[in-house]
Amino acid sequence: MSTEVRFPKMTDAGDSSGVLATWYVEDGEQVAAGQVLADVAVEKVDAEVTAPVAGTVTRSVAEEAEVAEGAVIATIA
Amino acid sequence: MSVTAQNPAAAGAHAPSPVLPVEPEAGTRRLNTAKALQEAIGSQMEANPEVFVMGEDVGAYGGIFSSTTGLLDRFGPQRVIDTPISETAFIGLGIGAAVEGMRPIVELMFVDFFGVCMDQIYNHMAKIHYESGGNVRVPMVLMTATGGGYSDGAQHSQSLWGTFAHLPGMKVVVPSTPYDAKGLMTAAIQSDDPVVYMFHKGVMGLPWMAKNKRSIGAVPEQDYIVPIGKARVAREGTDVSIVTLSLSVHHSLDVAEKLEGEGISVEVLDLRSVVPLDREAIVATAAKTGRVIVVDEDYQSFGLSGEIAATLAENAASRGAAFSRVCVPDVPIPYARDLEYAVLPTPARIEAAVRAAVAG
Repeated sequence: MSTEVRFPKMTDAGDSSGVLATWYVEDGEQVAAGQVLADVAVEKVDAEVTAPVAGTVTRSVAEEAEVAEGAVIATIA
Repeated sequence: MSVTAQNPAAAGAHAPSPVLPVEPEAGTRRLNTAKALQEAIGSQMEANPEVFVMGEDVGAYGGIFSSTTGLLDRFGPQRVIDTPISETAFIGLGIGAAVEGMRPIVELMFVDFFGVCMDQIYNHMAKIHYESGGNVRVPMVLMTATGGGYSDGAQHSQSLWGTFAHLPGMKVVVPSTPYDAKGLMTAAIQSDDPVVYMFHKGVMGLPWMAKNKRSIGAVPEQDYIVPIGKARVAREGTDVSIVTLSLSVHHSLDVAEKLEGEGISVEVLDLRSVVPLDREAIVATAAKTGRVIVVDEDYQSFGLSGEIAATLAENAASRGAAFSRVCVPDVPIPYARDLEYAVLPTPARIEAAVRAAVAG
């Protein structure tokens, strides 16, 4: 079973898009629950995305890519 | 004030953190420099109740360059203290706390603001240990943001480590990597001497600023120190040595990688601190390659680059090494982007200096 990791909703409307600013984990890397996976930013507001569960990360967007709020950025299996 | 209160080294029950190998093991968790810095401060606050943070916007805002993000939530407003815009008052407050045995980390938001509070810094923080005949120590960290490159103008873009290094009594620490940022901050907090900890905004890896890939790197989760005063050979080379620090390390490594393909072998020495200055490492790299280029984002005249030239001239092993420098010419940092990038030590200027050195 895999868990989806989504770009957080950071604006009131929740339908803006932002940037996957920095990946801190490689594709296929093992992570612990709570570990920082990425920094994301919408305009000049940034936020951390942490792992909701432990497991193996599969990244689905590239660093510096524009991503819609709520879109899947990785799965953890 | 009791004798023990005057001497926190004797009173402290906190063992110093270990020195780890500089290269972390493969698979070590990665952080940007800002998170590495936060982790060092948070970990030392957990370990020692005498450690606290104070400054403008260090609390809810988390430091304007994210040096203190998350600390208010973890430690509360008595240990993560937002101050008014009154640098003389809160730096003086930090000095008072330090001489009473606490270990304050006081953030001066931009180093450029030192002008309004310099008496506290260089007449008190730096001199109390000396003027008390060695009886009173000041185990304080003055943390401050330096550097330009993002159009913030002449009063928010300076480096100024040479100014602080010129005045006796303060260690001056200038990290370039996440690994060093954590280890040097841990060392600074555990030091019984006043430490000026100068982080360049451009090495922090912040999402909203242009970031070099080298501002994200492996950082061990355990506590460790990077010894203050020990330079690091960031890259081995044989043709020319770049002696540098802070963001200019990243630029110099980028240039070295590019020129490797042309058969030009560049050694890069990351000083990591200006006081103490690792003169042995400077002499050693000069003796190895015979050519030294100092890359320094501080002003050119009367500063670090001249001090390095003097070091080379004073030591027989390095005397006669070819010498040049890539610094900020002696002008205020311009606001206009084209003008600012004309004075900064950019990769293009560094590359030109390397080519001139190996051609000469």
